[in-house]
Amino acid sequence: MLDHLSLMALDALLIAVFFSFLWKRDRRERWRYFWKVFGLLLLGAVAFAWLIYPFPRA
Amino acid sequence: MPERQPASRLALGVLIALAWLVPGLGHALLRRRLRAAVFFVLVVTGFVVGLLLNGELFLPHPGDPLSYLATVASLGNGMLFLVARYLGLGQGVVTAAGYEFGNTFLLTAGMMNLLLMLDTYDIAVGKKDW
Repeated sequence: MLDHLSLMALDALLIAVFFSFLWKRDRRERWRYFWKVFGLLLLGAVAFAWLIYPFPRA
Repeated sequence: MPERQPASRLALGVLIALAWLVPGLGHALLRRRLRAAVFFVLVVTGFVVGLLLNGELFLPHPGDPLSYLATVASLGNGMLFLVARYLGLGQGVVTAAGYEFGNTFLLTAGMMNLLLMLDTYDIAVGKKDW
């Protein structure tokens, strides 16, 4: 089975491609939008994970 | 704005139903073939990965309000949901390592298809010209 990061990246990839084709018309716009959404989802999740890292579960 | 004719209303309803049933079919019928193919691949990929990860195709659980929202998203998968349920797939294995990830993929795929229905509607009524 894929690890958590790979699965998150795959989900982010599907979502980024989906919205770039749903909302953008031109090829160039789609690429730009794709990298923006993909980067935000991936880096945002990693950043959020680091942010909550110091907080204990209980 | 003139009132929409009953025949075209019916056609619009059928179009939206077909868009729900098969991901991308609404776009294909409106001659947006490239996007139809991309959307089909995306939704089916998300759905299959979700099933492979032992995710659950939700049905309402009494006393669990969030399961109703999850059911709407699961039903968004259209025919994929119906076929998988018929074949006994998507029961969800809560103890499996991929269960939560599988749910995420299945719900994401369903939500994407619901958005595709709205996009199909927008194109069909002329709110979106591409």
